[in-house]
Amino acid sequence: MPKLQIPIESTTLGNGLRVVISPDRAAPIVTVGVYYNIGFRLEPRGRSGFAHLFEHMMFQGSENAGKMVHIKLVNASGGVLNGSTHYDVTNYFQAVPSNALERVLWLEADRMRALKVDGENLRNQRDVVKEEVRVNVLNQPYGGFPWLDLPPVAYRNWPNAHNFYGDFQDLDAATLDDVREFFKTYYAPLNAVLLVLGDTRPEEVFALAERYFADIPSNSLPPRADVSELPQTEERRGEVEEKFGTLPALAIGYHAPERRTADWYAAAMLDQALHGGRVGRIYRRLALEKQVAVDTEGGIHYPLGDAFDYNGPIQMVTRILHKPEFTAGQTLAEFDQVIGEIQEKGIGDEELKQVRVKFRSDYYSQLEGGHGGYIPRFGLMHWLACFTLFDREPQLVNSILDGFLEVTPARVQAAAQKYLVARNRAIVFRRPVAKGAA
Amino acid sequence: MAPATASREPAAVPALGPERPVVWPPRAEATLDNGLKVVLVTSHTIPKFTAQLLFRSGNAVAAREASGLAEITATVVRTGTNSRASRQIEEDLRRMGADLSTGAGADSSAISFAGLAEFSASLFELVADLARNASFPAEEFERERRQRLEELRIERVTPGFLAGERLRKVLFGAHPYALVAPTEAEVEGYRREQLVAFYGEHYRPGNALLIAVGDFSPAEFLQQIEKAFRDWPAGKPGQTELPAPPEVRGRRVHLVHLAGSVQAQVLVGNRAITRHHPDWLRLGLANSILGGAFNSRLVMNIREQKGYSYSPRSAVHALRQHGYLSIHAAVRHEVAAATLAEIFYEMDRMRALPVGEEELADARNYLSGVFSLGLGTQDGLAGQLATAYLNELPKDYLETYRDNIRALTPEDVLAASRRYFDSANAQIVVVGERKDLAEQAALFGDLEVYDALGNRT
Repeated sequence: MPKLQIPIESTTLGNGLRVVISPDRAAPIVTVGVYYNIGFRLEPRGRSGFAHLFEHMMFQGSENAGKMVHIKLVNASGGVLNGSTHYDVTNYFQAVPSNALERVLWLEADRMRALKVDGENLRNQRDVVKEEVRVNVLNQPYGGFPWLDLPPVAYRNWPNAHNFYGDFQDLDAATLDDVREFFKTYYAPLNAVLLVLGDTRPEEVFALAERYFADIPSNSLPPRADVSELPQTEERRGEVEEKFGTLPALAIGYHAPERRTADWYAAAMLDQALHGGRVGRIYRRLALEKQVAVDTEGGIHYPLGDAFDYNGPIQMVTRILHKPEFTAGQTLAEFDQVIGEIQEKGIGDEELKQVRVKFRSDYYSQLEGGHGGYIPRFGLMHWLACFTLFDREPQLVNSILDGFLEVTPARVQAAAQKYLVARNRAIVFRRPVAKGAA
Repeated sequence: MAPATASREPAAVPALGPERPVVWPPRAEATLDNGLKVVLVTSHTIPKFTAQLLFRSGNAVAAREASGLAEITATVVRTGTNSRASRQIEEDLRRMGADLSTGAGADSSAISFAGLAEFSASLFELVADLARNASFPAEEFERERRQRLEELRIERVTPGFLAGERLRKVLFGAHPYALVAPTEAEVEGYRREQLVAFYGEHYRPGNALLIAVGDFSPAEFLQQIEKAFRDWPAGKPGQTELPAPPEVRGRRVHLVHLAGSVQAQVLVGNRAITRHHPDWLRLGLANSILGGAFNSRLVMNIREQKGYSYSPRSAVHALRQHGYLSIHAAVRHEVAAATLAEIFYEMDRMRALPVGEEELADARNYLSGVFSLGLGTQDGLAGQLATAYLNELPKDYLETYRDNIRALTPEDVLAASRRYFDSANAQIVVVGERKDLAEQAALFGDLEVYDALGNRT
């Protein structure tokens, strides 16, 4: 297997802003991202959903680019853009023809320097976010399952356990002062990384970054809040009503090992063996062989992210929609059979070999696309950002794969025995109240 | 006064730099003796390749036999061949680091696959096996049929699905494009022999197109493909005549009641055109201005000014024989009528006034720029090639698209808007709570009410 040799250059500006570049001049397009080291985990108490609402506000105007100007200029340059809020980062990104690079850097610098929004913008985006929550959660079958349902059951510490999309009364309570305070506290150069990938030269980007970003003042960051969890001593269970769907569902989440520990590498291979599509052990047994389930999916940080893009407690999650003629207990018993089997008998050399190949193949695909693929190199950008902000080591993108490919069968089995145990898990049952369309 | 440190930053937007030429990679094309057409394009972004084996037959040609027959056939194709059981297929795929999916739409069926370039020969062998020797094991068929039934029940409570299904029924009537999904009874009625017959008739090399994009040498790939597919006996299906869709005249409102809704799914549509119609690019540009981009009129109005909806958009949909356009927004119940008023205002504004030069230039840039983003990923490129070849678009479609878009004028946009944003004959679908919506919906035309199963109430 050839070593990955993605070209990566990086620097840090005087104000603390990290700049990471990965040039590739094959096509005349460039992907630009700005990642802030703040996600919904650390939003203020009493302001659930605020980190995401704030993300919307970053499109509402800055000192020299008023409301909709950023969006208009990127679209009018032939590009697409978006932002998203995660556990531990919030990102803003665009893919544009490379002749728009300077324009995009100017826009990103302007909103990092001086967000300029008013009460009308806030009211407007509060309404928009509520419709977003309705369309994605409240008015959809299995909406928010399990990404909003599991954390309150699995965790005890508010940063990990609250409603990340936001209770409507908390969204209503958000003020313009909250917006200004959040911006001042977390949206500082010291807490961010700028990424430029594709058709550009590193010298050009360094010069432009210096020109547009270097004089943005930086303030010191507050001490990082304690997001740790006390050790769990027994299984946790919860129930949520399913308003629309007819199938009962359950989700099981196990606390995953800490990032970049030996157990974490093993857990990722275990995850691939369990959740890797139709050949994964869980889908194979529950959906294909026993035919208890209609669908199963899962993974570390499922369904929001992957094994790399978080910086605090996270779970390996399995989501199961099962047939109504089976009870939740019977379904869980089948799931437990799968877990018991890998704990007792481990994983064979041939299966692990396949898992390694698939893991490597998936890793490449993520680098190239990810996120639906409409942003070229989205995955490379995303991982470079996380490795920079969490690990201060963007080059990990080229080397981290090695650690997964060295995992042995014994380590996979040991990880299953250590982590996939009842006292380390939470289960949420989503129970239908309706009998289907009529 | 601004602080001195900020003085270096110019307040004016930097101009766009000189454009680097967009060069579409050369394509290697070949037709095997059995009629299988092959298109190969290199892209070295990652050491993988992505491919699609496409058949020019979908649910529409099989509608008289069974609704959704192409789809269930595609689903069961991957579950067994004469020499490989389902588990073998899935393990072989994992061994090659490959992903594979099968599916069908109205006009085509597809086996889509991607994997590590180092295992390409084995992956082509496996796909050829699925395309030629699928065995449709009875127990796999039964299991997939049951899965489909459960999926249908979830679709029947999904607002976006219900809205799209109703609009297609209204716009296409007796034409099979009206059928987005089968009924539960139709799925219960599927017989294994129907799948086998559809497969035997339509999964033929003369009906197929193999597109591959990735990190390979075209000559070597062509050799592997020859080896895997050359023994596939020639053949292609006969033509199927489909009934004409109705002339849809007069604005009507179709309310689908979904109990417990906390939001209204609003969808407005007209029949439109195929990709072969001379107005196709003109309509695409008009759509982009109306609601096809983030920076479009519908988003600016309904989202950014009014706050009614998270993601209002418009889209043009080309099917092989016909096309349609749609405008959608998910909004709180109390502003359903207000949203419809804005949708019709924006449609009519497109028809009444020529678009200004700056807005037009922005939209032209948007479409031509976004098109070139397809060069950035293997999947993006494969998708564009599939569109061009499956629809038999002109040879230089990809290469000339950007120039053709940039040549369009305000008159083109106005003419296309007048022809297709036909507000007087637009069909309106609203999905949500009947009691909260009926009165608002009826303001816009004669009202018909349906339940989620599609029955008039």
